[in-house]
Amino acid sequence: MKPQLNSEITAIIASNTDGIINRFNEGAETLLGYPASEIIGLKNINYFLLKNEVDRFNKDISSKYEEGNSKLNPFSLLTLNNGYDSREWTITRKDGSVFVAHSTLTPITDQNGLSIGFLRIIKDITEQKAIENNLLEKNLELNNAEKITMMGHWRWDTITNDVKWSRNLYNIFEVNSEEKLTYETYFSFVHPDDKDEVTIAVEKTIKEIKFHDLLHRIKLRSGSVKTIQLLGEVITDDNGNVIELIGTCQDVTQQRMAEIKFKGLLESAPDAMVIVNEHGRIQLINKQAEKLFGYTSEEIFDNDVELLIPKKYTKTHHAHRSSFFKAPKRREMGKGRELYGVNKKGEEIPVQISLSPLETDEGLLVSAAIRDITEQKKAESKILNAKENLEKLAYKLTDQNKQLADFAHITSHNLRAPVSNLNALLDFYKNAETLEERTLLFEKFEVVISHLTQTLDTLIEALKIKNESAENLEVLSFDDVLNKTKEILSGQIIETKASITADFNEYPNIKYHKVYLESIFLNLINNALKYKSANRTPEIIIKSSINNGIQTLTIKDNGLGINLTRHNNKVFGLYKVFHRHPEAKGVGLFMTKVQIESLGGKINVESDVNVGSTFTINFNQ
Amino acid sequence: MNKNLSVCVVDDDAIYQFTIKKTIKSFNLTQRIMAFFDGEEALNFIIENQNKDEELPDVILLDINMPIMDGFQFMEEYIKIKPKLAKKITIHMVSSSVVPEDIERAKKISEISDYIIKPMTRGKIKSIMENLMN
Repeated sequence: MKPQLNSEITAIIASNTDGIINRFNEGAETLLGYPASEIIGLKNINYFLLKNEVDRFNKDISSKYEEGNSKLNPFSLLTLNNGYDSREWTITRKDGSVFVAHSTLTPITDQNGLSIGFLRIIKDITEQKAIENNLLEKNLELNNAEKITMMGHWRWDTITNDVKWSRNLYNIFEVNSEEKLTYETYFSFVHPDDKDEVTIAVEKTIKEIKFHDLLHRIKLRSGSVKTIQLLGEVITDDNGNVIELIGTCQDVTQQRMAEIKFKGLLESAPDAMVIVNEHGRIQLINKQAEKLFGYTSEEIFDNDVELLIPKKYTKTHHAHRSSFFKAPKRREMGKGRELYGVNKKGEEIPVQISLSPLETDEGLLVSAAIRDITEQKKAESKILNAKENLEKLAYKLTDQNKQLADFAHITSHNLRAPVSNLNALLDFYKNAETLEERTLLFEKFEVVISHLTQTLDTLIEALKIKNESAENLEVLSFDDVLNKTKEILSGQIIETKASITADFNEYPNIKYHKVYLESIFLNLINNALKYKSANRTPEIIIKSSINNGIQTLTIKDNGLGINLTRHNNKVFGLYKVFHRHPEAKGVGLFMTKVQIESLGGKINVESDVNVGSTFTINFNQ
Repeated sequence: MNKNLSVCVVDDDAIYQFTIKKTIKSFNLTQRIMAFFDGEEALNFIIENQNKDEELPDVILLDINMPIMDGFQFMEEYIKIKPKLAKKITIHMVSSSVVPEDIERAKKISEISDYIIKPMTRGKIKSIMENLMN
C-alpha cells in the first residue's frame, strides 16, 4: 500500500442507531486493514480510535450541545441537534500501526427525518499533515529569523487596501496580531516629521512602478520611536496596473542610533568637519562645513576633497594627502603656513585645519576639522593697525612732550629771569633815596617790561602756531613765495649784493600754510643775509626736491656758520644767538621750527664756521 | 675785614647785571666788580690775565643761558686753563633755569661750588661774600 495513494482513498463506515456497523466500504478496508466481513455487525464503532481522543470528542460534543444535562451520549446529542463533527483522529489499523486522519461523523436520517444511524467518513491526511508541519516549521524558522534580524515582511493589496504583516512585523510595530490592517494603519505609525517623505516615496513608487526604498521613523502607541527601513517590490497585473506591493521592513533603530550619535557628534563639533576616504573623496560633511563652503552634503558627496582647496595648492595637497594615509596620525595641517579653503563661489577663506584618522568598517577615513579664521585674521590686522597707530601716536606724543618740555624750558628761563629782575629793581626802588636814582630805576623797569612783553608775545604766537590745525592749507608755488621774500628783503639784498639762485623744478608746488611758508623763507633768507661773512658776497642757493616721498627744501648760504659742536641743541631755541650782531634776537629760528613742526615737519642744519650753513626742511617727515 | 674782594658777573641780562652790581656794591666789601655778557668775553679776559693775581676775580657768578658761549661751555674751557691761573677762583652757577638736567650737570662739575636759582636774594649774595672772606 502506497501512502501517496491513501490520500485519495475515502473510508466510509455506517452504523445504525444502536451503533452496529452496517456498512464498511472498500476504502475502509484499505485504510484500516480489516475486511468488511470482520467489522460489519460489530457494535463498537470506536473500535479503531484512541481512547483519549474519544474522551475529548465526548467532552467537546457535550460542551457544544448539552445545556447542563450530561445524561445523553454524544451520538444522541448530534442526532438531536442535527449536527456533525469533523476533526482529526488518530486511527489504529488492524496491524496496530496508526495514521492521522480527517474524519467526519454525521447522523443519518430517513425521508421522514427519523434517525437511522451514523456515517463516518475517514480520509488519510498523514501526507498533508507532514506538509503542514513542514510549513509550520518553516514559518517558525522564518519567524525566528525575522526576530533575530528585527525584520518583518508585509503585503499590501493596493486594490482592496488589505495589508498583511508577518508575525514579527506585528512585534516591531507593537500591534496586536488580531488587528485588521490597512495602509492607514501603517501610515498612522509614521513619525509626524517623516510623513511627507513617506507619502512622496509611496506616490513615486506607484507612479514609477518601482519601489523607492524608505528609511524613516515610526512612533508607536507606547510613545517610543523606532527607525525602520523598507525594501520592496511592486506587483502589477497583466495590463501593468499596480495591484500589490510586497516587501520587508527592518527595525534599524540600533544602527541608526550609532549613526545618529556619530552624526550628532559631527554636527555638535564647533568646526566645519569634512570626512574623506582613502581616495580623497568626501564622504560626509557637517552643517558647519555646508555653511562654510556653500555646498550641500548631497552635492558634495564623493567629490574630490581638492574641490575645497584653491587651485594653486591642489598639486601639493595630493602629495600631502598620500603621505598622510601612509602614516596616519592626528596632526595640524600646514603648521606655520597660512592655509586657505575655497567656497562654492570661488572665494578663498583663511582656515586652520587639523586632521585625524578614523578607522571604520568602510576602511580608513580622515576627518578634517576646519576652522574659519577670517575673523581672527581681521582681528589680527586690526591689532596690527592699532599697534601701528599707537606707535604713531606715541611718536607724536613724544614729539609733543618734547615740544612741551621745550616750552617749559622757555617759560622757565625767559619768564623767570625778567620777573626776578623786576623784583630786584622793585627792592632798589623802595630803598632809593634820590629822585635821580628812582628815575634811573624806572628806565630799567621799562626795559624789563618791554622785554617781558616781547617774550610773552612770542610765546603766545608760538602757542597759536602749535594749536593751529592742518586747516588753512593751500597749494603754494615756491617761486611765488621766494619772490615775495625777495621784495621784502630787497633793501638788504641790494646792500649786500647777495645772489640768490633757486631751483624748484623737481618739486615746484606744495600744499602748506601760506603765512608759515612765507615766514620760513623770510627767516632763513634774512638770517643768511644777516650773518654773512665779512669777506664774501652772500650766495644763497635754494632747492626743492622730493626724496622717497619726503618733500624737502634746502637753503644753503656761504655765511658765518654756526659752531654746531657747541650749539647744536640750541640752534632753534628761543633767544639763542650765536653771533655778536646788533639784530640777533634768537626768535626767528625758534618760530621757524615751531611752524614747521606744527605741520608735522622737521628742520635740520649743517654748518661749518666761516664756510656757511645749510638748512634742510622736511615738510612731511 | 678784607675789602679787596673782586667779583665777576657773567650774564647776558643787562638788568640783572645792574641789580647784582648794585647789591654787591652796597655791602662795601669789594674792591672791584666786573661784568661780561657771555662766556667767551669772560674767558678771554681770564686768559689775558691768567698770571695777574690782582686782575683775576675771587668769585665768578656764572649764568647758564648766554649767547656765543654758555655757562657750561665756559666751564669746559675754564677747566683747561685752571692750572695756569695765578689765583683760586670760586665759581657759583646762577641761573633762572629750574630744569633738572641743568642742575644735575652743574653738580657734576667739581669746579662749581654751588648752583643758585635766580633771583639772587640780598642775603644769599651777602653769605657768598662772607664765606669768601673767611
